[in-house]
Amino acid sequence: MNPKRTMTLNLTDQEMVVLEELSVQKDLSKTALLRQALRMYQLVDARISRGEKLFFEDHEKQKAELMVL
Amino acid sequence: MKETIQIIDNQSGQLVDAEIFDEVALAHFIETQAEWRPVVLEAARALSKSPNQATLIPRHYHWDWTRKEAELKMLALKFYGLSCEERLQGIMKVETVARSCRLPEQQGKPLVYIDYIETAPWNIKQLMVPLGKAQQYRGVGSRLFEAAVLQSVEEDFKGRLGLHSLPGSEGFYIRECGMTPVGRDPHKQNLLWCEFTPEQARRYLAGE
Amino acid sequence: MKFNTDRKWLERRADQEDRHFISVGGLISTLDPTCQTELESTQSMETTKTAFARLLQLARRERRLSLENLAEKADVDLAELFKIETDEAFTPNLRTVHQLALVLDLPAKKLMVLAGLLQVKDVSLQQASVRFAARSEPIGNVSPEEHAALEEYVKFLNER
Repeated sequence: MNPKRTMTLNLTDQEMVVLEELSVQKDLSKTALLRQALRMYQLVDARISRGEKLFFEDHEKQKAELMVL
Repeated sequence: MKETIQIIDNQSGQLVDAEIFDEVALAHFIETQAEWRPVVLEAARALSKSPNQATLIPRHYHWDWTRKEAELKMLALKFYGLSCEERLQGIMKVETVARSCRLPEQQGKPLVYIDYIETAPWNIKQLMVPLGKAQQYRGVGSRLFEAAVLQSVEEDFKGRLGLHSLPGSEGFYIRECGMTPVGRDPHKQNLLWCEFTPEQARRYLAGE
Repeated sequence: MKFNTDRKWLERRADQEDRHFISVGGLISTLDPTCQTELESTQSMETTKTAFARLLQLARRERRLSLENLAEKADVDLAELFKIETDEAFTPNLRTVHQLALVLDLPAKKLMVLAGLLQVKDVSLQQASVRFAARSEPIGNVSPEEHAALEEYVKFLNER
């Protein structure tokens, strides 16, 4: 694997709770989860930068625009 | 990442050193099109002449080549190359974010998704036979598949893996590799979605 | 990454791989039939070229012309004419096709498509060419069946 560098992360209590809950839910270490979050952010950002739009579709097939980063 | 692994040289039957690496560059993709495609087309023509082989005619993967440079920078995407004797023998593209597990017991958990795995045509037995030639190397695709499973373990995804199997390969992924067939995906030409649980991945790696 | 170093494991995996197409996506995929299109156009060109060769030959024989006679009449190279009739992979030059069309009273543009000099996607032409090629034989006297096939095919070419 590629060499890694260490970073200290300062999170609020609320953020830590969310991080811990998601880690359990996804069966991932906190580091792995944050890594996933970073990847997703980069991917979404790249597409939006190209002019694409990100939507959520509900059960009734209604589309709602999710975000413009 | 660059590692030396063994594949089989078909002619001698001996194990030979090959390299698996993740620093795949544009030049490698160009190589697959320039060097592999003509051989694939040649084999397709030979195959189309024999009626019962017609279903094995290869098709072209429509991958947006103009975006490939941008894709190479995405953390969520990873490309692997396998080379032997300074020649590209196999290539693979995996994704870690856009898809997650569909099996009820691991629903929503992250997995390594194999988007694209391919061996150079001169290593594929079914393509070489109609051309009257012998395969060059064996085990290339398996090594790439193994790398995807190992990545899943390293990512802390516990070996969870997913892919859409082509009709001709379902038997391979289900029976030989031990993946679970989950269902046909209407968003992907009704291809069969196959998944590894951590236990199945462990057994695959151990050879059980 | 800890790859398996056991030889038996690798042999077993290689055996399994050899029995199947394990490619996902890639050149061996059903995700886009671009290659199929390329393959199809290659096959359809082969058929029309066969029809072209047979058409010329039958038209020539109907007029009881030898290759030499035809070459002289059309003012084309004899060697090229021979190649057209015997080598289906051969693509003649534009002038030759044009001259032959004149002498044999055949539609020139259509002939150029058949010869592989013009690319036109025409399914009915393709189908008619297949039928004609199947009903004609490359040697011998023009049989009544061949004559009928030739007539039908020329009529078709002239009509469109």
